[in-house]
Amino acid sequence: MKYVIIGAGVAGVEGAKVIRSHDKEGEILMVSADTQIHSRCMLHKFISGERDEKGLDFTEEGFFEQYRIGWKKGVKVQRIDTEKREVYLDTGEAVSYDKLLLACGADSFIPPVGQLREASNVYGLRNLSDAQAIVAEAKKANQVLVIGSGLVGLDAAYGLLERGKQITVVEMANQILPVQLDANGAKAYQEKFEQAGVRFVLGRKASEAQCGEDGRIHKVTLDNGESIPCDMVIVAAGVRPALGCLKDSSIDCGRGVTVDASMKTSAEDVYAAGDITGLSGIWPNAADQGRIAGRSMCGIKDAYTDTYAVKNTINFFGLVTLCVGKIRPEEGDFVQIREDRNQYKRVIEKDGKVEGILLQGDISHAGFWQYLIKNRIDISGIQKDIFAVSYADFYQIGERGKYEWRQEI
Amino acid sequence: MKRIMIDAQKCDGCKNCSVACMQAHRKTEGTIYDLDLTDPANESRNSILKDADGNYKPLFCRHCDDPECVKSCMSGALLKDPESGHVFYDEKRCGSCFMCVMNCPFGVLKPDRVEKRRVIKCDFCVNAGGEPSCVAACPKKAIQVEEVEG
Amino acid sequence: MNQCYGCSTCKSADKPLQEYIAGLSMETSHHRVEGQSTKCAFGLQGVCCRLCANGPCRITPEAPRGICGANADTIVVRNLLRAVASGSGCYIHVVENTALNVRNAARNKEEIKGMGALNRLASLFGIQEEDVHKRAEAVADAVLRDLYKPEYEKMELTKALAYEPRYQKWEELGILPGGAKSEVFHGVVKCSTNLNSDPVNMLLDCLKLGISTGIYGLVLTNLLNDIVLGEPKIRLAPVGLRVIDLDYINIMITGHQHSMFTDLQRRLADEDVKEKAKKAGAKGFKLVGCTCVGQDLQLRGAHYTEVFDGHAGNNYTSEAILATGAIDGVISEFNCTLPGIEPICDELKIKQICIDNVAKKANAQLKEFDFENRKQVTEEIIDEMVEAYQNRRGSVTMNLLADHGNDRTLTGVSEGSLKAFLGGSWQPLIDLIVSGDIKGVAGVVGCSNLTAKGHDVLTVDLVKELIAKDILVLTAGCSSGGIENCGLMTPEAAQLAGPKLRAVCEKLGIPPVLNFGPCLAIGRLEIVATELAEGLKIDLPQLPLVLSAAQWLEEQALADGCYGLALGLPLHLGLPPFITGSKVAVQVLTEDMKKLTGGQVIINGDGKESADILEQIILEKRQGLGI
Repeated sequence: MKYVIIGAGVAGVEGAKVIRSHDKEGEILMVSADTQIHSRCMLHKFISGERDEKGLDFTEEGFFEQYRIGWKKGVKVQRIDTEKREVYLDTGEAVSYDKLLLACGADSFIPPVGQLREASNVYGLRNLSDAQAIVAEAKKANQVLVIGSGLVGLDAAYGLLERGKQITVVEMANQILPVQLDANGAKAYQEKFEQAGVRFVLGRKASEAQCGEDGRIHKVTLDNGESIPCDMVIVAAGVRPALGCLKDSSIDCGRGVTVDASMKTSAEDVYAAGDITGLSGIWPNAADQGRIAGRSMCGIKDAYTDTYAVKNTINFFGLVTLCVGKIRPEEGDFVQIREDRNQYKRVIEKDGKVEGILLQGDISHAGFWQYLIKNRIDISGIQKDIFAVSYADFYQIGERGKYEWRQEI
Repeated sequence: MKRIMIDAQKCDGCKNCSVACMQAHRKTEGTIYDLDLTDPANESRNSILKDADGNYKPLFCRHCDDPECVKSCMSGALLKDPESGHVFYDEKRCGSCFMCVMNCPFGVLKPDRVEKRRVIKCDFCVNAGGEPSCVAACPKKAIQVEEVEG
Repeated sequence: MNQCYGCSTCKSADKPLQEYIAGLSMETSHHRVEGQSTKCAFGLQGVCCRLCANGPCRITPEAPRGICGANADTIVVRNLLRAVASGSGCYIHVVENTALNVRNAARNKEEIKGMGALNRLASLFGIQEEDVHKRAEAVADAVLRDLYKPEYEKMELTKALAYEPRYQKWEELGILPGGAKSEVFHGVVKCSTNLNSDPVNMLLDCLKLGISTGIYGLVLTNLLNDIVLGEPKIRLAPVGLRVIDLDYINIMITGHQHSMFTDLQRRLADEDVKEKAKKAGAKGFKLVGCTCVGQDLQLRGAHYTEVFDGHAGNNYTSEAILATGAIDGVISEFNCTLPGIEPICDELKIKQICIDNVAKKANAQLKEFDFENRKQVTEEIIDEMVEAYQNRRGSVTMNLLADHGNDRTLTGVSEGSLKAFLGGSWQPLIDLIVSGDIKGVAGVVGCSNLTAKGHDVLTVDLVKELIAKDILVLTAGCSSGGIENCGLMTPEAAQLAGPKLRAVCEKLGIPPVLNFGPCLAIGRLEIVATELAEGLKIDLPQLPLVLSAAQWLEEQALADGCYGLALGLPLHLGLPPFITGSKVAVQVLTEDMKKLTGGQVIINGDGKESADILEQIILEKRQGLGI
């Protein structure tokens, strides 16, 4: 049996590990544009100079040898033939497979504004290669414009602050981290970034950006006419599933590759996991999908059911935030807020169930909230201040000393 | 694997387990007598929670069979040791994202108080011979190490 | 399987005793150590406060203050002051009763056995009564007058009894005590809920309580007892469980108030009383010494050899003494009477009588000592003991340990008897210290506990290390009971001393460890120290003398310890007195105290290390004196 995995992100790596655990003999080959295994969530540590490339590796020492996995790195897949069961690489090589896992992730989305897509000093921040290019560019650049203030945009800004750059962040919404936080939670980070020298322009979007004769953008004009001079631009306006290699194949795609619960695509023996599916953009879910795909490829029945992905943790300047579930309260929601010098907490409830939690400052012992929210557990029976609720209220010890969630409350 | 079995009904909430944990993981040399109980850097990996009726619920890492913390770790800092079955944390690899804190369904984990850089995580006192200090310190034997399958 | 109650008893320095206890079919404190081995760390550090309904509050990194706002320093020192005040109260109770007994004895023209002690006190107090009984009454009255003064009136005898340079130091620090009872009152008020929060201010109160405890509770209690019971005389005596003689009606005594036994010990020697015993089938009555009052009887044993069998053991030997089955009754009047003896007494049908209600045991008969009716009470006690003897002998199994202890323990050592032994002057001792034949003196005092490595383990380890370093050891308290049963107070123990001390001991025929008796006799050690300092024309902190309460047990020991610190002496403790949670308390007691009084607390649980530290201090003091 020959397993081919396209992509060396967490979905691909987890898929490979699971396959090896179930199939000791089969051949496993990973193919990736990445030349170094790296955690995308830590690219800011590379940009800041805190870690080198090796320091971003999330696999165990000697991963490829230990799991006996082959790896073709630095190559791109151009085309897949599901009839012939072959993958064609940009090296001209064809790689055959018995089972194929598509885990090639996503690409940064550069909006079609002016010449952003053509300019040579505009970068996304998705891969180590992006981070390497940003670091190289930053050696010359002084003024950096970041478009988008989501986690990727702020990661870029956070990393570049360490390099002493003048940074401006432009955000369409009226607050930073609009997907993750409410205005109050966002303000805390905004202040910390501002204290560190970052300038934010909120409620604005880039409307014009023309290259100079050198093929570089030197200023970006916003929708209010303000011009922001810059030596480099980092665009953090989201990602799109990397479907490029599928364009001539018969594999069904929507926004991403279409998969069933077992992570199988419409093509026989072809599976997909991670960002390419467009199912979820966060690490634990991509890893889960990789493992489920891997098991399915080994013929073990499994299904991706824990799809809950409306969750994030944030840590900038030592200010940590945990947010799970609903961020924007709606009509009929019951919102409770607790705020002091060191923390801000907000819980959104509806019909006796928690719909969203936001904890900033202190997130100790807060893991149970996710379980509470995603399983839609009714807590109306707990006679306690909502912020005092903890796993103790659901505490149950099961077989072999495992913790369980008590059903009767 | 060895697991700390909990009999919550026996817990009196004395927190001796917590102090023993702080003592086992302190950075300085010394005895329980000079453990600085006012230094926030001394943190316990276990804690005693209370339910709405005031019953004590000891919160100790289960070193789960299928650990959510490990599955959510984006740096490789958390790994389940195939030999002992215990989940170990490598501070040097940790990216301080705290996804593990969010994903532990029982809320066992927490970031360190001082720097918010490390995860405070039970290591089964592996550096002290793998005999958990908390267990040795429990006057009620509410926590005991047992060999369980897995 | 066998009949042993439990095989996991704690260690004892006294190996035969350890084996004996491990083989018992009944539970003792030694069996309970394991079950209590997990100690609450907040308690150990002294940072648990339950002074109010918001509590108990405990200090943690997440909660550095109690609900009221008290921090670790306030909580720790409040707890310490409470303990010291309580401990002081215990000793002041003892001296008060003793002074009352002396006054009553004097008023009733009873025998005055200790003329030396009486005249010494009369002269110190400036009392010039011709009549012996009037003189004794005046002495007792002077003490009582001071004890009953309010807190705002300084006690008058302090100046007469204290070493002049010390008195000046105390005056300078503002810690001269008012009435001793009122000082206890003041102390407990001060550390109550939401009163004082200043740790240093409260530590000064501890010192003040130390002074009133030391001068009145310790020094004066000894001398007042000597007046009515006789002064100690040096002799060799048997110690250990071997002293128990099956042929007699045996009464074990526990407590701290020797003067309460004056009448009983006199009566037990009378023919008509012996006749009662004989009728019951015994040869007579014997008092078996246990705890500090046993040490007191041993110390003055030369005066009543007929009724006193000898000292059997200290507080944590009391259960074993009863377990022999040969004890028919227990008379207790104070601590350290362990609650753990009660079930053993029940099981072995041992009659328990308490003669002071402050120490009433749960299943003991209370027969309060009262001077007026003492003769009646004495007769009743004798009859109860005869009855107990008759009820139990024959039906209770005997389990003697006849080889335990030794026959040649040197006892009867006091400030007076030792000086007399040296020829009526301290000069020979001073000369030996100056010449270095005796490197220094260590007072190994206080209690016995079971947790500093085991029963008397640290104490005995430390003493062995000290004498091996040519340091002469003087003891007082339950520590003496353990040390003597381990044989360190026999003249033969000189072999364990360093070459110089050994030579001195062998020349004089004395052991390298001299037993001054009960914990009260810490006061006698202070007199010796003062007289040595006078001889050398120096203040106490300059003496090559250290104190160790290696196995301190209780609140009284903490009050004693405060006296030691007020005297400016280095004080070693095997276990910290629940203070380490406070950086201020640790700093003041272990460091700043050197500048305040000259004293310091040293905490170390290892015998060898502790001996090294204490030797180093002695060497530094010698260097300071240029000797």
